[in-house]
Amino acid sequence: MGRVKLERKYAVWGWLFVAPASLMIFILSFFPMIQAFILSLQSGRGNNLRFAGMRNYLRLLEDEQFRAAVCNVFTYLIIQVPIMLILALILATILNEQTLKLKGLFRTLVFLPCVAGLVSAATIFKSIFSIDGLVNIMLLKLHIITSPVSFLSDPVWAKAVIIIVITWRWTGYNTIFYLAGFQTIETSIYEAARIDGANAAQQFFKITMPLLRPVILLTTIMSTNGTLQIFDEVRTITGTSGGPGNATLTISQYIYNLSFLYSPQFGYAAAASYTILFMVAVLSFIQMKIGDKE
Amino acid sequence: MMKKGSFLGLALALGAVLVMTACSKQEAAAPAAATAVSDAPVTLTVWCWDPNFNVYAMNEAAKIYQREKPNVTVNVLDITDIEQKITTALSAGEMADLPDIVLNQDNSIQRFVQTYPDAYLPLNGKVDLSKFAEFKLDVGVYEGKNYGVPFDNGATATFLRRDIVEQAGFQVSDFNDITWERFIELGQVVKRETGVAMVSTVAGSSDFIMLMLQSAGKWFFDDEGKVTIKDNPAVVEAIKTYKALVDSGVLLQAADWNAYIATLNNGTTASTIQGCWIIGSITPATDQAGKWAVVNTPRFANVDSVNYSSQGGSGWMVFSSSKHPDIAMDLLNKTFAGSTELYETILPSSGAIGTWLPAADSPVYSEPHAFFGGQKIYEDLVDYASKVPRVKYGVFNYEARDVVGRAAAAVLQGASIDAALDEAQKYLEFQIAE
Repeated sequence: MGRVKLERKYAVWGWLFVAPASLMIFILSFFPMIQAFILSLQSGRGNNLRFAGMRNYLRLLEDEQFRAAVCNVFTYLIIQVPIMLILALILATILNEQTLKLKGLFRTLVFLPCVAGLVSAATIFKSIFSIDGLVNIMLLKLHIITSPVSFLSDPVWAKAVIIIVITWRWTGYNTIFYLAGFQTIETSIYEAARIDGANAAQQFFKITMPLLRPVILLTTIMSTNGTLQIFDEVRTITGTSGGPGNATLTISQYIYNLSFLYSPQFGYAAAASYTILFMVAVLSFIQMKIGDKE
Repeated sequence: MMKKGSFLGLALALGAVLVMTACSKQEAAAPAAATAVSDAPVTLTVWCWDPNFNVYAMNEAAKIYQREKPNVTVNVLDITDIEQKITTALSAGEMADLPDIVLNQDNSIQRFVQTYPDAYLPLNGKVDLSKFAEFKLDVGVYEGKNYGVPFDNGATATFLRRDIVEQAGFQVSDFNDITWERFIELGQVVKRETGVAMVSTVAGSSDFIMLMLQSAGKWFFDDEGKVTIKDNPAVVEAIKTYKALVDSGVLLQAADWNAYIATLNNGTTASTIQGCWIIGSITPATDQAGKWAVVNTPRFANVDSVNYSSQGGSGWMVFSSSKHPDIAMDLLNKTFAGSTELYETILPSSGAIGTWLPAADSPVYSEPHAFFGGQKIYEDLVDYASKVPRVKYGVFNYEARDVVGRAAAAVLQGASIDAALDEAQKYLEFQIAE
């Protein structure tokens, strides 16, 4: 009897403590999401909104700029996320090496880019890749090119620069997750493997990777989510128009332009936002199906 | 222990609720304040964005107005992302935090008034708008009513490095009253003789295309607001000319605005073609004093156009949420639309050239400018301003700018002009459709 009472008490108190935060999350996060969905079913400019059903979503399918933005974002995603995660895994393996000296220093160095503001990082890369920037000066001095390359006004190079920025900024962040993941793997497993004659590569692929799977899954979902919503870096490097042409435009940038730069179409912009949610949900679901066998 | 715990839990829950109700209460209470009586102290808030330019000008205007109405205090704020802030406030229907007066870019006045028709007050009858240059007034007209008091002049000119073109064997006057074709020819010689690019711009911007269009009195839309890109000879010619400028190496494309300003200040370009407000960014390079000159803007050879255009510029607007709309409009009427003294004060110190025509008669406008080798540049620029063709920017100006900018980028990458403009026309029509 006393035990049931105590549990009840715990439950009541538990709920009471969770309630304020939950309430805040509901009001500040879920409620706007519901409102945004209702908004996405309306069309019109400024505040002259009318109910439009699924028209905004259908219109998005025909919108070249939106299509270009989706293509760009998926290009970033498909190229950048694997590169970044493999790099992070390699860095984490090196940093986890028992014999490595100055471990603290290297860990700090790897994580340091993460402390840089997104906009400052992007601004610095923009100047490095500008027509009179560091990269051009170096290539000229090394006689690899004869005249400066305008990286940011070339559709392919501009994308490459953005991929480089995101990779620089976020690799350290993911490395830390992997490092933390490594600490959960028993060293005795490796010892046993060594006794059985497994080499370093075998240890990595047969022990480290499978045991790290939950962390890899987490970082993949987080990176996918982050890349689909990318805004700051592109906005800083190629401006509001996402140029040259549509070459670097992202979905978030297009949403911003629809709301604040162009004659405002908040319903249409909300519909575009919901497509990101949809894409994140689908991609995460696929990744979880593939990655999480349990 | 129990007591303490229960109190904490309750306080947390209550705290959250209180914070939220407190916020909304405050906002609701604000608009209830009483309308001012004539002598009661009144504070007007003004939003603009450049401390050395329009913030300064509004503060000077406030000083002049205060001599007559000492009870009026003007609080001028330097606001970044001004259009985004206004869009957010107006869309949320939360006008209490908006200022009384705002400075708005000429090219988006009509967009704001059309999108939020009740947010701005028409100025007709309250502000004397009869003495402004007509092309500047036009950009602030919506459905026959005026919503903008013109502020700075956007008349374009070619700002030229006298020393560099002379080194290439030319005179400054060789660049006056010329066509773009001639400009490119001269630019190629300048590049060959001095190694300096003739002119610079921000990569991917549509500035050149837009100023070329206005020089022909054409825009991306006709008077009914229909898209006219594809079969518009001025647009075709502008894109052709832009490509020729880039291909000939005459035009240097800077990565962004700061890099563009740097090309002017560090001597990597022999000129810039820009709205005359650019003077404010040229003159800080004191080592170049006396080396600059001003001539008019190139025109098309094959399309009917003039050597005058406009780029940028802005106007003052009054929000309907203002608690003292009459005082706000009176302030504008007595200063920007009625005080020669104001323009005489702000011109020499900030280079803000107004479009209020009576000010041009002031002797200050005919003073030689030492930085420009003693040329009477203000007199020239006011003269240019009076000859700028009128165009209607319309509501979808930014959409058009980006679409045409993309077409230009595609053409620079090798696409055919017809195909690129065809696509631009189709896409813009899609974008502005309801």
